[in-house]
Amino acid sequence: MGYDSAVKKSIAIVEDEPALRENYAAALARHGYQVKAYANRKLAMQAFGTRLPDLAIIDISLEDEAEGGFDLCRDLRAMSAELPIIFLTARDSELDAVSGLRLGADDFLTKDVSLPHLAARVAALFRRIDALRLPQNAADIVRRGALVMDAGKMQTTWNGKPVTLSLTEFWIAHALALNPGHVKNRQQLMDAANVVLDDSTITSHIKRLRRKFLEVDPAFDAVQTVYGMGYRWVE
Amino acid sequence: MSIRLQLLIVALTTLILPWAGCQHARELEDALRVAQENALESTADTIALALSAQSARVFRAAEDPRPYVEEQGDLYVFALRSPPLLDGYREDWGVAADPKRLPSPDGYGARLQVGSTDRYLFLYLEVADPHFAPEPANPDLEKDRFDRVDITLEQPDGSLESYFFATGAPGLIEAQRTVIQGGGTTRIASEPRIQAYWLESAGGYHLEARVPLALVGSRLWVEARAASGRKAGFAVDSAEGGRLFMATSGLGELLGTFIRAGTRVTVVDTNGLKLGTAGTPGVGGTPGAAGELGTAGELGAAGELGAAGLDDAGGTWYRRFVTVDTSSWPMQTTLPDRMAGKSVFAALAGRPAAEWLRTSGGAEDLMLLAAAPIAVDGRTRGAVVLEQSGDQLLDLRDRALAHLFNLTLLATALAVLFAFSLATFISVRIGRLRSAADSAVGNDGRIRLEMPESRSADEIGALARAFERLLARLDEHARYLRTLGGKLSHELRTPLTIVRSSLDNLESEGARGDQRGYLTRAREGTLRLQSILSALGAASRVEESIQQAERVSFDLAELSRAAVAGYRDAFPGARFVLEAPADGCLLRGAPELIAQMLDKLVENAVDFTPPGGTITVRLERTGSNYELSVENDGPSIPDAMLGRLFESLFEHRPGSDDKPHFGLGLYIARLIAEFHDGRALAANRSGGGGASFTVILPLI
Repeated sequence: MGYDSAVKKSIAIVEDEPALRENYAAALARHGYQVKAYANRKLAMQAFGTRLPDLAIIDISLEDEAEGGFDLCRDLRAMSAELPIIFLTARDSELDAVSGLRLGADDFLTKDVSLPHLAARVAALFRRIDALRLPQNAADIVRRGALVMDAGKMQTTWNGKPVTLSLTEFWIAHALALNPGHVKNRQQLMDAANVVLDDSTITSHIKRLRRKFLEVDPAFDAVQTVYGMGYRWVE
Repeated sequence: MSIRLQLLIVALTTLILPWAGCQHARELEDALRVAQENALESTADTIALALSAQSARVFRAAEDPRPYVEEQGDLYVFALRSPPLLDGYREDWGVAADPKRLPSPDGYGARLQVGSTDRYLFLYLEVADPHFAPEPANPDLEKDRFDRVDITLEQPDGSLESYFFATGAPGLIEAQRTVIQGGGTTRIASEPRIQAYWLESAGGYHLEARVPLALVGSRLWVEARAASGRKAGFAVDSAEGGRLFMATSGLGELLGTFIRAGTRVTVVDTNGLKLGTAGTPGVGGTPGAAGELGTAGELGAAGELGAAGLDDAGGTWYRRFVTVDTSSWPMQTTLPDRMAGKSVFAALAGRPAAEWLRTSGGAEDLMLLAAAPIAVDGRTRGAVVLEQSGDQLLDLRDRALAHLFNLTLLATALAVLFAFSLATFISVRIGRLRSAADSAVGNDGRIRLEMPESRSADEIGALARAFERLLARLDEHARYLRTLGGKLSHELRTPLTIVRSSLDNLESEGARGDQRGYLTRAREGTLRLQSILSALGAASRVEESIQQAERVSFDLAELSRAAVAGYRDAFPGARFVLEAPADGCLLRGAPELIAQMLDKLVENAVDFTPPGGTITVRLERTGSNYELSVENDGPSIPDAMLGRLFESLFEHRPGSDDKPHFGLGLYIARLIAEFHDGRALAANRSGGGGASFTVILPLI
């Protein structure tokens, strides 16, 4: 979090709830970001037309547009392929999460997330972008058989093939792979991912995680469920 | 009382119709009876008038004003239809009445009957005398003792002539008399005009004698004398006795022209003695009454035709309900030679009259008797008596009644049938509605909105529609309640986030030392709020994940083992026992959902288990199912609650703790069981103390 103020990153927050908007803006500003907040899609797009931010945090329902955030995400992604986009929403259904991630968002957070956690996720995303330009740090790399996870670049490969994980999924997989054979319970996984999730959301994250590995390798079976306790990585 | 029974009773009130009919029939019968009385009385009157116009054919010219006294020796002479054979038997007389016993000072038994045709007077005498004493040749009436019968005739000229019958040997004989010869001597001479037949019988003899009417005036004495001197009968000793009261010959034929079938007409003289009769009284006329006098043909036979078809034995049972009480009515007195009774006496006193008489003990055997005086020259010389059976009346009444009864019974039967089917129809429909209402709210809390009968236009249809409206509102309400949790957890999330993010900011800005405590407490509060909201929205999230769940094959036993191991860590206060088969229990389903279901069951069991209590997780394979049950120590569940525990938002907790409970845990367990085509049951442990929750999952 010690970023140089000279290269202050700019973050756009699109959130229709003024109190939340102010709180998020204040917290992120405190972490040294230059924050611009918009109440709706129209205002945001006007601003983005002039200059794109370095990262966008978008709520899904914006004022009178129930899914305005999805539209905004699609437009933004059209404008820039690399711009990190985080959905921050009160809607916690799996369907919403899947839709958001499919539209190209980098992470999907519910509003249960605390401000320090939010800041950590934002920092992690920036770090991934920065890491692409930085030399590899071996300490950040976890190798477990076919798995290679680069915590610096937030990149994952299985048998050399890239697996595109969302941030939450990445941290969950990372926490499991760091200590193979150890059972991580849900609380530990939530802490690792810096999110507050309920049981079924954790379950669906694990499910999505498995599916993404299965797409690369149909024989993938490294993430095991230990019922009543949690999950573990097996090699 | 069921509707069916109620309507049946209502229908049975139509039985009042036959009752009313009976009352009506009784009145009808009274009216008919009076009408019949009047009709018969006026017929009698008419006949009396007609007869008075030809009184010569009815009465003998000379009228004896003195009354008939049998004890004095007055004799009633029956009219004989045809002259009988002289043979000592009276069977061919055609008279039903028995001969009359003659008075005897010493008990000598003799019976006499007298009849006449146009030309002859017939005598019939039965004598009980076992010792036959034959007549000697040339008998001396003063000295010789033998059995004989004396008769004395008052001749038409008024002089008396005595004869006697006696014989040496039974057979056809002639009467004999004492002839006074010149010189004062007498001799016995036969009278060939008076013949008789002497017949020996078992206990004596019969004598049947024939006397030409030309020899007979108006008086006759008969005396039977035995050889022993015993005697019976009347001697010529009284100016009063011995009068002959003769039926008028030919009167029967005359009367026969006046009457119709079913009626008997009798003409009596002032003494009530029958002068002539014709016809038979109706259908059930007393047999033997017919033909005792000269009757003019069997006219009664025709009367039987009219009623024969109506005498329906099966149709008369209801008479008992309608019969007029006749027990106090006078009995008919039937005498062979006379007519008696109130109305006969009234007619002889000059007043026409009619009366109903009983002919036997039976209430239905009735006879109507009407009498009218026959006045000749202003004086009553006799009376016409008409007799008619009550049968015709009864037949009329019965016919009406049978009709009435059949109709009303048919009406009642139809009413009962109709009421019963209507009641059945209604009660079946109500029953259908009731069972639909009973099952409208299913065990899963889902509400069936459609009611049977709701398309009917009647009140039951209206009731069904009212039910439907009620259910629709109930469903709306239930749906609202079901989604309330999810909505609340969603809607409260934003304000909660505002509070929490503000706290985060406050903390980051650096709070003063004494403010940290408040901050920590506020943060703890928001954490609790958040867990409450999370619990509230749990069911809708599970419903959502069920929709997206994928089925895989997994080992249920292994899952249970792993899960129970986890519970031992998570709930150190309780002792966990696992009973599961060693071999694999493969199930196709969503393991994470099954694990979640087990979590809910175990969480529920933990809540009710006293500290240190045992929780048993048991997996069994029964037939085509797996039974996964969680049993716990602790209180039993009230029976009324058992069926509802798995409903949404159903909460029954005697105590309270600080954890939020919304009655969703077991509901979630059931949702998951149903996703696996299974079902969830709650029961109290048979030994008492504790409950068991079982999920039955079919093997696929």
